[in-house]
Amino acid sequence: MADFEPRITAFVCNWCTYTGADLAGTSRLHMASNVRIIRLPCTGRIDHMFIVKAFERGADGVIVSGCHPADCHYTAGNYHARRRFGVFRELLSFLGIDPKRVTFSWVSASEGGKWADVVNSTVERVRTMGPFDSYHGLVGAASPADDPFASFETPAGATGDSAAAPASHTGGAS
Amino acid sequence: MSRIGVFVCHCGENIGRTVDCAAVADALREHPGVAHAEDYKYMCSDPGQQLIKKAIADDHLTGVVVCACSPHMHEKTFRRAAEQAGINPFLVEMANVREHCSWIHEDREQATAKAIDIGRTIVEKVKHNKPLETIRIPVTKRALVIGGGIAGIQAALDIADGGHDVVLIEKDASIGGHMSQLSETFPTLDCSQCILTPRMVEAYQHPRIKLHTWSEVEKVDGYIGNFTVTIRKKARSVNEDLCNGCGDCQAACPSRKIASEFDAGLGKRTAIYVPFPQAVPNIPVLDRENCTLFKGRRKGLAKDACGKCKEACLKGAIDYDRDDAFVTEEVGAIVVATGFQLYDIGRDQPEGLKGYGEYGYGEVPDVIDGMQFERLASASGPTGGAMLRPSDGTEPKTVVFVACVGSRDPEKGISYCSKICCMYTAKHTMLYKHKVHDGRTVVFYMDIRAAGKGYDEFSRRAIEEDGAEYIRGRVSRIFRDGEKVKVWGYDTLSNRQVEVEADMVVLATAVRPQPGISELAQKLSVSYDQDGFLNEAHPKLRPVETNTAGVYLAGACQAPRDIPESVAMASATAAKVLGLFSADELERDPSVAKVNERTCIGCFNCERVCPYGAIEHRDVCDVDGHVCGHVAYVNPGVCQGCGTCVAVCPSKSVELANFTDDQIYSEINALAGW
Amino acid sequence: MTELQDTARRLLDEGEVKVVIGWEEGRRGVRPVFVTSAADCDRLVFDTRCVHNLATFLNPRRSQVASLGKAALVVKGCDAKAVAGLLREAQIERDGVVLIGVRCGGVVGSPVAPDAPALTAETVASRCFACDVREPGLVDVLVGDAQPEPPGSGTLDERIAALDALGPDERFAFWTNELSRCTQCYACRQACPLCYCERCIVEKTEPQWIETSPHPRGNFAWHLTRAQHLAGRCVGCGECERACPVGIPLALINRKLQQVVLELYDYTVSDDPAVPAPIGAYATDDTQDFIK
Repeated sequence: MADFEPRITAFVCNWCTYTGADLAGTSRLHMASNVRIIRLPCTGRIDHMFIVKAFERGADGVIVSGCHPADCHYTAGNYHARRRFGVFRELLSFLGIDPKRVTFSWVSASEGGKWADVVNSTVERVRTMGPFDSYHGLVGAASPADDPFASFETPAGATGDSAAAPASHTGGAS
Repeated sequence: MSRIGVFVCHCGENIGRTVDCAAVADALREHPGVAHAEDYKYMCSDPGQQLIKKAIADDHLTGVVVCACSPHMHEKTFRRAAEQAGINPFLVEMANVREHCSWIHEDREQATAKAIDIGRTIVEKVKHNKPLETIRIPVTKRALVIGGGIAGIQAALDIADGGHDVVLIEKDASIGGHMSQLSETFPTLDCSQCILTPRMVEAYQHPRIKLHTWSEVEKVDGYIGNFTVTIRKKARSVNEDLCNGCGDCQAACPSRKIASEFDAGLGKRTAIYVPFPQAVPNIPVLDRENCTLFKGRRKGLAKDACGKCKEACLKGAIDYDRDDAFVTEEVGAIVVATGFQLYDIGRDQPEGLKGYGEYGYGEVPDVIDGMQFERLASASGPTGGAMLRPSDGTEPKTVVFVACVGSRDPEKGISYCSKICCMYTAKHTMLYKHKVHDGRTVVFYMDIRAAGKGYDEFSRRAIEEDGAEYIRGRVSRIFRDGEKVKVWGYDTLSNRQVEVEADMVVLATAVRPQPGISELAQKLSVSYDQDGFLNEAHPKLRPVETNTAGVYLAGACQAPRDIPESVAMASATAAKVLGLFSADELERDPSVAKVNERTCIGCFNCERVCPYGAIEHRDVCDVDGHVCGHVAYVNPGVCQGCGTCVAVCPSKSVELANFTDDQIYSEINALAGW
Repeated sequence: MTELQDTARRLLDEGEVKVVIGWEEGRRGVRPVFVTSAADCDRLVFDTRCVHNLATFLNPRRSQVASLGKAALVVKGCDAKAVAGLLREAQIERDGVVLIGVRCGGVVGSPVAPDAPALTAETVASRCFACDVREPGLVDVLVGDAQPEPPGSGTLDERIAALDALGPDERFAFWTNELSRCTQCYACRQACPLCYCERCIVEKTEPQWIETSPHPRGNFAWHLTRAQHLAGRCVGCGECERACPVGIPLALINRKLQQVVLELYDYTVSDDPAVPAPIGAYATDDTQDFIK
């Protein structure tokens, strides 16, 4: 899909990956613009439901990123996250949600380059996989008008309002 | 009803060049819940902050979003401004459109659209922000220092001189630590005890320092500012209040052949003993393991087999029936200064270490370690300072020193460098040569690490003035051959094998943390690395703190360290403690977790995962006061706000302030309308 | 059987417990029973129809059961594992329940049968394959004769392997089809002894992570969450699948996660409460080959 721009939601830890992403910015490392970051204190805080909800709300891919093992600002949050997601991605895979849509990474505060790499490689991979229509279309809505989320707190006319918004939310068509 | 103010910063050209800031403000102005939106060149400047304050007042804002740089840059700035304008600082968030947008993208359309998304996400989050008050917890301005070596003594003196009370606890009978066992110290060769004992006496006599020797930490409860420490005062068998240090008991003791720990096994002591003449306090301790009377009691003898020390004591200070006692101390900060031990050269090795069979596991009596050499060289040692070798008491004419025994050797279990050995090996060659003028010293080394002030000059002095022969290479075997100790090694610079017929060999063994350090660390909830050294909070920026608030580190318990650095570190630790004590209340970030006791099911998953031990059990009682269940409770003084408990709670009964489920859900939701 | 009844009678007579929770012969098959008097103890049976996981009655929030007083519970090995889970998670105290363990060689799929069917590869419940607790360890009393291994060929694992062999899209189609029948009745949750949260996460509405509407999207969220919450805790008793009114193969999902925690963390759910569950613990060298 040549013009498909994947939408990636990233859940990152404040102390390592968020700061690493800041460093990527300070170093002016250009990267794909498809990722939206949600800041959390620690990967330990990241619940599997965040990933599910992100997919439900239109994400085509998800990134979960935090501190390297032994470097967690809170000592052990990333160890717990590692276990939790080790299991969760197998569960996703078993239920048919391709785990390639989810990137897990350790990006430290000094690894601005690695963050850019994680972003770019995730965007390219998800671009190849295509939009996550199968999940987005699960409710069976034939068009955005049927989608119960269509009227939820979106800015007035957002789908066409802001200057050159990316491709509008693809409705139920798989 | 949300009334959020959105302020989009151009940051000069940094944002404005790539992102159409006016368009971002326009778009966000239309977002439901936004009452005010504007863009400006430099929001962090004074006029910029004034715009925020004005809008807060004029538009009755309930929240503020500044679309600008990273929150790591200016979150504090804008929170302060908002607070000055009268709204709670935690109602202010930043949307990062610089580091995460304008600086990493080129296309103006894409960057602007992304900036609007980022702004929208944070606006949705702020709608759920709640005002939070800084947590204030009282601080007990008393410190506990665990370990009475040079680091512990220095920390205790600095804290006490800073005006606060200190409880200093030491597991041995006297304070002083390993420094009291040393003969002369590098790089000055001044007498170790001469510089140490005045400090020991000062600590003992200081009005603000309370000393517990022959004592160990039994239990630690509480949290920063509010620790309750239970101390086990081991049974000394001597009443410290009555004893006057006369020494008659030691003179009377019939057991005189017990290996002296202070002399590193080379000398002997009595069962009731003071470890060394300058011990502080000068009060003996009775070694119940080796005492004839106690051996008899353990065998079940009807009548005590001895009692000479009690008979000899004119003050009636000997008390065989006193057992371990417990005291509790309330303190606000804990300093760990437990020091080090040396890698054992014997056959019995702890798990993970292999020992040196090729060096005979120290079974050759004339193969000794560095501390034993110090005792030989020491005027108060088993040989009165004469260089006499252990096997036959003759003067060794050739002494081989082997560096890096155990250190830098991953095969044997330790990969780090022990830092002090190059220096003390050079020192040992000089101490030997100063006593045995016609002696020969040979040092097998890998590198010479002499980086401190005056250190390189010192090690060169050993070679240039005192004739130490340095051979770069490792030793493959050490064994007894008649009266000699043969050392087989290799000289890598000349590329030849070397054999030295030595009279004595000194092994520079690795520095390791004290035994029992992992148990102590667990009591303190402090983490340690795979070698047992205690973990600092950050290797560069927070070297004297741990990840457990209120617990600090000083000296070799954190990493191998020499005396000047241990003293410096101890003073740094004291500064942190004095900083903690400088206010009556400790202010803590209110981003902590809180349990909804109504829905909590008491499974304590949270307790299992909390790295700080911040979760407590709370009983739930019915109207008659009977306990009918239990729930979790997060101690806001200890919680550091990681949120691991939240993710692991199956019923979502615990929430993390400022990163609540509502806030995160709304951020994920805000991206639905891309 | 007599041994079981005698034990129950003794416990009630001596006043050690106020109620014995076990199985009895009902009108159409075997059903749980709460025996409070010694005279009724001969109602207690144990045979291949004793499918139910009685540990679910130890949930402290089942106040009607709790009000009967201290209970003795008849447990098969799998049931004992569930009790261990409750102990591990501080829901009950060890001295608050007496556990009568029965040696079990397997059960059939349904308790509804006039007589105890013989166990064959066709009749045995698929979860009994490779059972490692035919003699339960967490017990106060152990009754019954030693039992041979259950017959069977691991059809559950075979079905999982067959699904694993498909591509993600095909699996997704399979599960969308299965989960589209789900009405979010939560019978699976009610039947599970380890789903004891008073306010289940699906009932949390601020925010509503899991949509309660019975459409595939909500159902996916519900089942993903339930499976994740049970990972490392599920004892494989199969009650969830038995309770499901629309026949969703829930046992496949939970069994899959049992395989996952075994493979990743060398963990099998244990009837020893001292062994910690894998989620909530960690090792510094946990596998991370999926992390970039």
